[in-house]
Amino acid sequence: MENDEILQNMLLELRRGVLSLAVLSQLSEEQYGYSLLKALSEQGMEIDQSTLYPLLRRLESQGLLQSDWRIVDEARPRRYYVISPQGKAVLAKLKKEWSTMAETMSEMLS
Amino acid sequence: MNLIDRYIAEVGRHLPEKNRTDIEAEIRSMVEDMLEERGGHDEKVIVETLEELGDPKSLAAKYAPPKRYLIGPGWYEVYLQTLQRVLYIVLPIFAAVTFILTLAKEPLDFVDALGNAFGGAFEVGLQIFFWITVVFILLERSDEVPGEAIERHPQKWTVAQLPEFAGKRQISVGEAMTDIIMDLFVLLWVVMPVVQSWLQGDLDNVLFINPELWNVWLPVFLVLMVLNLIHDVFKLKIGKWTPALTATNVILCLGSIIYIVALVTTQQVINPEFLRTLDPEQIARLRDVSTWSVWSVNITAAIIVGILIWDMVNSIRMARKLNEQPELVVANKNVS
Repeated sequence: MENDEILQNMLLELRRGVLSLAVLSQLSEEQYGYSLLKALSEQGMEIDQSTLYPLLRRLESQGLLQSDWRIVDEARPRRYYVISPQGKAVLAKLKKEWSTMAETMSEMLS
Repeated sequence: MNLIDRYIAEVGRHLPEKNRTDIEAEIRSMVEDMLEERGGHDEKVIVETLEELGDPKSLAAKYAPPKRYLIGPGWYEVYLQTLQRVLYIVLPIFAAVTFILTLAKEPLDFVDALGNAFGGAFEVGLQIFFWITVVFILLERSDEVPGEAIERHPQKWTVAQLPEFAGKRQISVGEAMTDIIMDLFVLLWVVMPVVQSWLQGDLDNVLFINPELWNVWLPVFLVLMVLNLIHDVFKLKIGKWTPALTATNVILCLGSIIYIVALVTTQQVINPEFLRTLDPEQIARLRDVSTWSVWSVNITAAIIVGILIWDMVNSIRMARKLNEQPELVVANKNVS
């Protein structure tokens, strides 16, 4: 039981950073929360609504995303998010960092 | 629909006011998207969806990580409302009564009366501020802060834990809390000296209230106040002037008015012994002690009766309004 809890905590921490990167990478075109969730899950990255929405907001408040309430195709108004210029710059650097880290880690763990 | 509103309101209650509306709108849009995909607004689907989202408190915590507050956003507005209301009611009355009573003294001195009224009101205001703040700090402490444990076990939360919807209240939480706090103040103010002298065993301190009233009038008063207190707790819980609540209110107000009028016209409220303990110099300044004491009681009684009548009329008016509008409220909800 104890171990299980520790594992849960570590997974949570591990995912936290990765999720930001995943979200930034999928927002070169604007999406609303739920469509982004679907897009992520189609590519194998499962994420809770209750994690994704606050995350989007936090990234926006950091200036990495921009958002807008909008009505598309006569649907209900939804909040659409898209990456900002600042976000693009950060994403480029993060990507680089990620591939170095992934390489190092896969060598280390093999 | 109602369940979703209650869920969102409960999340909102734990968010800072600054971006509450915006986050609430976003959560609503998120829930609608989820429902759309799951095929509709069946009660069962709604319950499933909301329980998947989990405890509103921990959802709010993900938007705005909880901080330790003396009085947090969940209580702050109610705190301000309550404080404002109690001060607005008590201070003017207190100042007015003090002013009139000081004017009754010889020689007629307006400056003295004004000074007494403002000085006294200031002190009473500080006391009220302190005690209400203490009450709300305790309420804040009684709310658990959603920690990581809740975050990892969201399944444990069920919609049954949602509090009743607070958005369409007729009687605000602040208003009902004000009444409860006023009841407690009055109870303490009357009971404390009596209890104190009982504890001390004898009448070495002379009480302000006539001991002849203890056997019948005081117990009746206590019963009335406790009934009032229970009624106000229901007011807080129900939040609307339903027929039952209104009826009880009218009965309690009428009962209190009859009690007060009977008390003031047939009994001597202020202990004659107490008047004798006043500073002789002060007594000399009063034109006539007994007239003065009767007057102060009568003025206070008149003000309380006035408030009771207003309260009674107001509750009947609000009950009628509630009766006229229920369909309108429901219709509005369905549109949104």
